[in-house]
Amino acid sequence: MLQLLPHLLNGVSLGLLFALIALGFMLIVGVMETINLAHGSLFALGMYVAIFIVTPRFGWLPELQAAYVALPLGTRYAVALLLAPVVVGVFGMLLELCMRRTYGKDPLYGLLLTFGAALVIEEAIRAVWGSAEKQLAVPEAISGAFLLGDLIWSRYRFFAAGFACLMIGLLWFFLEKTPYGAVVKAGAHDSEMVRALGINLSRLRLFVFALGVGLAAIAGVVMAPIWGVRPQVGVDAVVPAFLIIVLGGVGSLWGAVLAGLLVGLAVGLTGAYASEWSLLSMYLLFIAVVTFRSRGLFGKKSVLDT
Amino acid sequence: MSESRDDKDLPQGTRRKWLKASALTLAGAGLYGVAPFYGPWKTNRAWAQSAQKKPLVIGLTMDTSGQYAASGADERLGAMMAIKEFNDKGGVLGRSIEAIHMDTETTPATGTRIAERMITRNEAAFLVGAVHSGVANAISQVAQKYGCVYLNTNSSSPTEAGKDCHRVKFVWDGNGSNFSHAIVKNAMKVSGKNWLLLTNDYVWGHTTSKATRAIIEANGGRVVDELLVPQNTRDFAAYLLKIQQIKPDVVATAVGGDDIKALRQQVVQLKMNKSPAWINNQQDWPDIYGLGPDAIFGVFGTNWYWRLDLPGVKEFVAAYQKQYPGIAIRTPGNVYYNGYMATRELLRAVERAGTSNNLAVIKELENLKVSARERMQHYDAYMNPATHQLQQTIYMASYNDTPAEKDDIYKILAQAQPQDVEDKDAPGACKLEPLAATPSYEQ
Repeated sequence: MLQLLPHLLNGVSLGLLFALIALGFMLIVGVMETINLAHGSLFALGMYVAIFIVTPRFGWLPELQAAYVALPLGTRYAVALLLAPVVVGVFGMLLELCMRRTYGKDPLYGLLLTFGAALVIEEAIRAVWGSAEKQLAVPEAISGAFLLGDLIWSRYRFFAAGFACLMIGLLWFFLEKTPYGAVVKAGAHDSEMVRALGINLSRLRLFVFALGVGLAAIAGVVMAPIWGVRPQVGVDAVVPAFLIIVLGGVGSLWGAVLAGLLVGLAVGLTGAYASEWSLLSMYLLFIAVVTFRSRGLFGKKSVLDT
Repeated sequence: MSESRDDKDLPQGTRRKWLKASALTLAGAGLYGVAPFYGPWKTNRAWAQSAQKKPLVIGLTMDTSGQYAASGADERLGAMMAIKEFNDKGGVLGRSIEAIHMDTETTPATGTRIAERMITRNEAAFLVGAVHSGVANAISQVAQKYGCVYLNTNSSSPTEAGKDCHRVKFVWDGNGSNFSHAIVKNAMKVSGKNWLLLTNDYVWGHTTSKATRAIIEANGGRVVDELLVPQNTRDFAAYLLKIQQIKPDVVATAVGGDDIKALRQQVVQLKMNKSPAWINNQQDWPDIYGLGPDAIFGVFGTNWYWRLDLPGVKEFVAAYQKQYPGIAIRTPGNVYYNGYMATRELLRAVERAGTSNNLAVIKELENLKVSARERMQHYDAYMNPATHQLQQTIYMASYNDTPAEKDDIYKILAQAQPQDVEDKDAPGACKLEPLAATPSYEQ
């Protein structure tokens, strides 16, 4: 049991990170019923924007740049955590404007558009930042390792898991305890009624898309020091994100969190005890759950189930 | 949630229905064997009536996406440089050389499709490129079917010149067995006898770790565990915890591409880069470039380094920097080098043979000997005619903590002669198809 405990702890922390990656995806699918295949590329874009914010490199305003770089790394990292999702969120708004032509049509149009956007964003990253591996510097206080039991643990990993908890809590608070969250949920439940009540549905969708994309960017910033930063890193995020929201039940916040934890535990435990199955384990878990419960763990019953 | 979509009326016109019906009909027809009617396409240019000779087409089967995207891009630059040098002096046999590239996506099925397409539609005279052994194997099976000479530039699985060898395929990188021979014995003396193997779960990883295990056990060492790493693993925390629990003296990794980049970063985060000792069978330059000094730890193998103090190296580096100014990887590495060397030797072989006919070129390549000076390595290299793998100098390297200049990140610890690191199992495992059974192919 003592041998197993570190792996359980690792699985939970990994699960929280998976949940963080899936949050934005869940929001967009839940409210807009659009599968945003650009989620991974926007996750990657968040990483690159954060690198730019932490270590800006441009020719103009050298004094200002020098003064900014002289700020403590912790401050610049905090700015990146706040600003990168805003920048990527604006980008997401532009994408949502492009998507409007696809609403009400075959869902394939939305899929194709976001797939195309994913390719464009990835190539744009290559064009601007190049293909080589990059690193996001993190403050001393949250980097390095510490000893727990007789094992070495990554301090940053615990920070990232804690941050994921915070983001899950904030999103829950927003959706459940604020009037804006109520509108978002209502939009997901019955968009026609929301429109009939005089709420601007287009603006709501724009906001939700920006929020979902911003969450993808935050996840990117948090995951950058763990996964590394390269243009194609988004592919590593979009597949588990999609799997987690289907496993948890489309549109369910706690479903996504629970699914993320289950996936994290499955990957973490198989990584330790049957390593060749570690990536496959999430798909096996998915098959096992969806076989018996097609709408996912917390998904609402649809007319097809009756 | 079912009512949330903004349900504007869907267009009900018949055009879409017609298109769908047509698409279904075409797909159905394809299934019933009508599809081959549409292809393969051949471009029949009227070269015979032209004063200009038909260009020699080289198909570059290199990844620009997937696990080995970075290395695929790098080896392409090497091949393009060799082609440019030949074109600058008038091509080969009076024919200009055209390169066509398609992304093999680090996926064997894509490799098969692209090889088929390049040979049957694009009239490629030769195919060049691969990093992933599964892709290399897939391409070579298609190439053998047509007789098209194929150069495996950077895939270093021992199976490539072992059980998966082919008469048309030539392997240019050192393989996992060569690197293990060069590194393992020495590392056992220095670091200890209890080893843990961390193995990418595909053919290169398995065969490389198998070679490492054999050398460890033959020298009185013990493999305490082997952890398999599925391709595209990004989180190594479970592996690193397990390694701490097992406490081996040495961890020998056969992990490549983006996986090794993520592993290295996470090892550094846990400050495990000093203990246990780390051995990476082969370290490709694009996988290490830009990672920073902390992430380059342990001892690893390579077959070339840009600061080797040998004739021609400086000029080779200068030519790269002149041809590719502003590129992210500012100095060439082993992957670029292999792409360049393979393509150059192929074109030289065509020149010597006086024809692009595959059988003549195969004979030339089977008897290939390249001087150390020409290879910019310490020892002469030679093609093993029984396995079609180039036998060459293998270097052992570690991080250079006293760099003489930017990008001087390797410290070359030693170099091994080709015959000392030979893969002894390969000749027994490799059964080359007879030359007479290989189709004659010429473009």
